[in-house]
Amino acid sequence: MIAGHPGTGSEEIVVAGLTKQYGKLRAVDDLSFTVRPGRVTGFLGPNGAGKTTTLRMLLGLVTPTAGRAGFGSRRYVELDQPLRHVGAVLEASSAHRGRTGANHLRVICRAAGVPVSRAAEVLDLVGLTPAANRKFKGYSLGMRQRLGIAAAMVGDPRVLILDEPANGLDPEGIRWMRDLLKMLAAEGRTILVSSHLLSEMQLMADDVVIVAAGRLIRQGPVDDVLGAMAGGAQVRVRTPQPAELTTALTAAGAGVTELPDGALSVTGADPAKVGHTAFAAGVELHELLGERADLEQVFLQLTAGKAEIR
Amino acid sequence: MNLVRAEILKIRTTSTWWVFGIIMLPLWALAVLYNWGTANISGGVDPAESGLSADQAEQLRVANEAVNVATTLYTSGQFLGVLLVMLLGAIIVTNEFFHLTATTTFLVSPVRERVITAKLIAAILLGLVFWAVTTILNLIVVPFVLHALDYSAQLGDPAVWRAIGLNALAFALWAIVGVGAGVLIRSQLGATLTLSIAYVIGTFGASLVFYLLTQYVADWFSKLQVLVPTTASTLMISGTELPGNPPRWVGAVVLIGYAVVTGFLGTLIVRRRDIS
Ligand SMILES: Nc1ncnc2c1ncn2[C@@H]1O[C@H](COP(=O)(O)OP(=O)(O)O)[C@@H](O)[C@H]1O
Ligand SMILES: [Mg+2]
Repeated sequence: MIAGHPGTGSEEIVVAGLTKQYGKLRAVDDLSFTVRPGRVTGFLGPNGAGKTTTLRMLLGLVTPTAGRAGFGSRRYVELDQPLRHVGAVLEASSAHRGRTGANHLRVICRAAGVPVSRAAEVLDLVGLTPAANRKFKGYSLGMRQRLGIAAAMVGDPRVLILDEPANGLDPEGIRWMRDLLKMLAAEGRTILVSSHLLSEMQLMADDVVIVAAGRLIRQGPVDDVLGAMAGGAQVRVRTPQPAELTTALTAAGAGVTELPDGALSVTGADPAKVGHTAFAAGVELHELLGERADLEQVFLQLTAGKAEIR
Repeated sequence: MNLVRAEILKIRTTSTWWVFGIIMLPLWALAVLYNWGTANISGGVDPAESGLSADQAEQLRVANEAVNVATTLYTSGQFLGVLLVMLLGAIIVTNEFFHLTATTTFLVSPVRERVITAKLIAAILLGLVFWAVTTILNLIVVPFVLHALDYSAQLGDPAVWRAIGLNALAFALWAIVGVGAGVLIRSQLGATLTLSIAYVIGTFGASLVFYLLTQYVADWFSKLQVLVPTTASTLMISGTELPGNPPRWVGAVVLIGYAVVTGFLGTLIVRRRDIS
């Protein structure tokens, strides 16, 4: 650990009653959650949910209308050497188009009071050494994201915050980032990653904080959030007699909806029970499939009805 | 201090400063030629016989004194030099928004007034570099020009050195005005255009307005002309007290006033504004 770190607890991200009003729009609405060290936490929500605004308030860039956000009991501005404690890669973070990647990092080192030699180390960490002396305007989107991560790692921070880091990365790059973040979390760091796409979060996050329309929908370990949706786990069944099967299953206490492809989706019953009910009712089955709810589905269900564009 | 060094590194690692430096050289040469030409023409006029009013004749006589010709020449390049320095000061700020680096900058130093202070110091240093370069060039070239005008080099006269020193102050103060203006007008193009146009058109427009006011409304309006920032900086570098003009220190005070107001306003605004 780097000397001069604030005391215990400051590795935990604490958001309490956080609110941001933009004119008539409440971009973030009384949001409260905590993020623990040693884990990767996914900060999930559809576009316009208020993720970026929340992260900017946490980092002291945007002033909250109400509530507070910080690290333990300290706000970002109250940290002695913020870069040595928190690293951040925000959506709109960028570099001067005419400056080389290496010089961009050297400027940050200078400002943070870190030896300039650190620039080469973080370039190496993100695999950008070959492009170190090229100008930023020639960088691909993926290289820009890597440079952003390098900049965030300059102070070897205990807390790392990333806003939609997967944007612009190819599958290979996403996989690289996933491994990097998991490794950093395994070292005991706090990792908060926002995303509106869940596919890659599902493979990476230990915890999730789900928001929609500026409000907290659910927070907890990925498994718990999925578990809480167990009632939402579904059985997919196909039959030439959908009406009879629906009647029988409804009588048995299950919920039935028809899927666009003509199959039925059954909730509140496991595959065995569906099969038995069909057998007892003398209904012929062509397909019977238990589907574990995945995060994507849970997410869509949880945030359904919350307008995407506000 | 780290922040000042970072700001200087930011300036050094982009091309803007030397592009401006290259623009500065021909402008400086032009200024020397212009000042030379003006001195040549007015030196050839005999105030007593030119049909000027008594006041104007007196002004001309003083302006033709060796020391005043010398101070004007030794500070050649001020008018456009401080314009470039002001623009650089503004660009130091607007760059952060244009290239979306403000986020990173304020993450490194969340206490925003420190960032602005560092930018002010870096801009002042840059202004002083421009001053030093034009001054060295002037010290090399102007003695020959003065010789051609039948004056001695005048470098023994403390008034010349005072003018050169106050010229440094003018460069520094205009740099501050630039940084403040950059905060007020965040757009790169907007700030550059507004400042250039206001500087050039504003200077001549204001002279015209004050001339008309003085002629047709009241004489005392001419005393207010020093409130025009460019007039203030020209006044600062005059060799002797010019008749009909306020004393030099008034020019300095006016310019310091503009620098303090823009610098202060800029810092206040940056402290409050959301960075997104
Ligand atoms: N500076 C701003 N002024 C006005 N509205 C804003 C501003 N920033 C964000 N918003 C609005 O706040 C809402 C949340 O935006 P944002 O935090 O960027 O969402 P997300 O990052 O989850 O996509 C959006 O509806 C957006 O239009
Ligand atoms: Mg966003």
